Amino acid sequence: MTRRKFLEKAVVGQSVLASAGMALSQNNGDAIPRRPLGKTGLEVSILGLGGYHLGSAETEGTAKRIVDQAIDAGINFFDNCWDYHQGKSEEWMGSALKGKRDRVVLMTKVCTHGRGKDVAMRMLEESLRRLQTDHLDVWQIHEVIYYDDPDLIFAAGGAIEALAEAKKQGKVRFVGFTGHKDPEIHLKMLSHNYPFDAVQMPLNCFDASFRSFEQHVVPEANRRGIAVLGMKSLGGSGEMVRHGGITAAEGLRYAMSLPVAVTISGMESPEVLSQNLAIARGFKPLSANEMKALRARCENDASDGRYELFKTSKKYDGDEGRKTHGYPTAEELPA
Amino acid sequence: MLQRPFGKNESVQISALGFGGHHLGDAEDQKTASALVNAAIDGGITFFDNCWEYHRGKSEDWMGAALKGKRDRVFLMTKVCTHGRDKDLAMKMLEQSLVRLQTDHLDLWQIHGVCFDNDPKLFIRKGGAAEALEQAKKQGKVRFAGFTGHKDPAIHLKMLRTGFPFDAVQMPLNPFDATFHSFQQGVLPEAGRRGMAVLGMKPFSGAGDAVKKGVVTPEEALRYAMSIPGVTVTITGMEKPEILQQNLKIAQDFRPMSASEMQTLATRVSGPAADGRFELFKVSLKYDNPEARMAHDFPLDEKQKEVQEMMRSTENTGHPFPQLDQNQ
Repeated sequence: MTRRKFLEKAVVGQSVLASAGMALSQNNGDAIPRRPLGKTGLEVSILGLGGYHLGSAETEGTAKRIVDQAIDAGINFFDNCWDYHQGKSEEWMGSALKGKRDRVVLMTKVCTHGRGKDVAMRMLEESLRRLQTDHLDVWQIHEVIYYDDPDLIFAAGGAIEALAEAKKQGKVRFVGFTGHKDPEIHLKMLSHNYPFDAVQMPLNCFDASFRSFEQHVVPEANRRGIAVLGMKSLGGSGEMVRHGGITAAEGLRYAMSLPVAVTISGMESPEVLSQNLAIARGFKPLSANEMKALRARCENDASDGRYELFKTSKKYDGDEGRKTHGYPTAEELPA
Repeated sequence: MLQRPFGKNESVQISALGFGGHHLGDAEDQKTASALVNAAIDGGITFFDNCWEYHRGKSEDWMGAALKGKRDRVFLMTKVCTHGRDKDLAMKMLEQSLVRLQTDHLDLWQIHGVCFDNDPKLFIRKGGAAEALEQAKKQGKVRFAGFTGHKDPAIHLKMLRTGFPFDAVQMPLNPFDATFHSFQQGVLPEAGRRGMAVLGMKPFSGAGDAVKKGVVTPEEALRYAMSIPGVTVTITGMEKPEILQQNLKIAQDFRPMSASEMQTLATRVSGPAADGRFELFKVSLKYDNPEARMAHDFPLDEKQKEVQEMMRSTENTGHPFPQLDQNQ
């Protein structure tokens, strides 16, 4: 029996979430539901606030308003990264969270891009200072997207040693990694059997039938009890909504119905935040049949990868990482 | 030159170096093309590759003329360009290929450009191109059937899982592929288990960028590709006499690399391989083929740099070519 057939069989008459033992916690009407963050003992809101887009907000005042409203509405998962907007995303989030640090699960990422532990530990100190906190709830290795990244990360003196040390020093509670390129690279990371607490990946109704993280990585992470953090529910910059024939509600609901802990979404304005909050409030997962129908509708357009440019082009690959690997920048490439 | 058995059909032997049809159409003129084909045969090459849509038919026309009187000395392959469309179209293309190649049969007929995730489904559907392969075999117009694609090992594996009894499968095999979206790791062992002939292509990783930039030498790259255990033939484009002579020499003096030599080379190039810029056919829209995109109803956004380059390199105007029905 193929894995897909098995899954289809397994979910008849119940949601994928329930079959993966990830029932939503008590749902009080309009609240944003929470789910366990893997085996960490933490509970997180099914919608997470993306740090990259926070740095795209009009002003720092707007960013603060977005963070406040998100917390008031029940969002407690906050994503960030050392290199987003040269530190602005972390700085704005840090000041907005002042006095509210203990109400959120705070994650940021480290951008070693193949470099070693020492670089990672310096970046950690910088992230802590910008985020105005003495510890992170989750610290992840950012942008694991090149085929040699797993080897570089797990080499002696590599970034993996920083994760262990940061945990030991109490500066980091849980660790993970993220990448948007290829399920194979994620599986190579997991094959090291390192005790990751979280793993982040693109999950959306197009991914379901193209170089699929949903098919290949989610089951493996679930099996290991590693929390799955979904991202790019609408294509990274809303491509799937603008051109791909789905609504934001369909895209986000599909992503949140998968066996994931949280779906991280970029919300650079109060309007986008309100739109997503309306979808997440009182959220009921799609049925297996609804999910199947949406996958089938998107399958043909998914087949050439044009709505998942983070998998198929260099447009979403950071210059920092390319430089560090000794690659020409995306601009300098022949196409 | 080394000859190898054609998969489980062991009575059929083909040369370990194959002559690529696309580059034949890039030769200076038809006379040069003829000379190349003749020199290749004299040098021991018996495997000839082509495709219905290469240079709008010129590659098949020139190869057909050059092979006149020598058809029985070679193993002739061409490909059909349905790109998800149906059996009837495939059969029309077959007739046209036979006319151009001046022969009554092909040794191998392959589905060209299996590069999109829904291609396997479109291939095996009722009325799809799979039925054309069966019928052409039954009619005696085709001895063996296969498929080819340069995009993604996962798509090749999906094709194998359709259950169609393919005799051959073509894929990119080179030192960069060893560690990036790897056909060598992902597809070749499965093809071997099924007794299929494995046709390697793009030994210099496509346009030869890696050789031009000095990342590998031609000899290293070609020897690597030909040394991969399980590969039957390595097809490469040779549009100039000096390229043909260079490759013939490597193939005639061929000693397989040892496993550790291969490993050393693959490791040496694994850094530059890891972002795919030396295997753009796996990662860039540029190699998607406008014909195939149109057949799938995928858009061609001419504002995109990749699409502009794709159109330029295939001399495509954004309209299907050649007009099949005009030529019938």
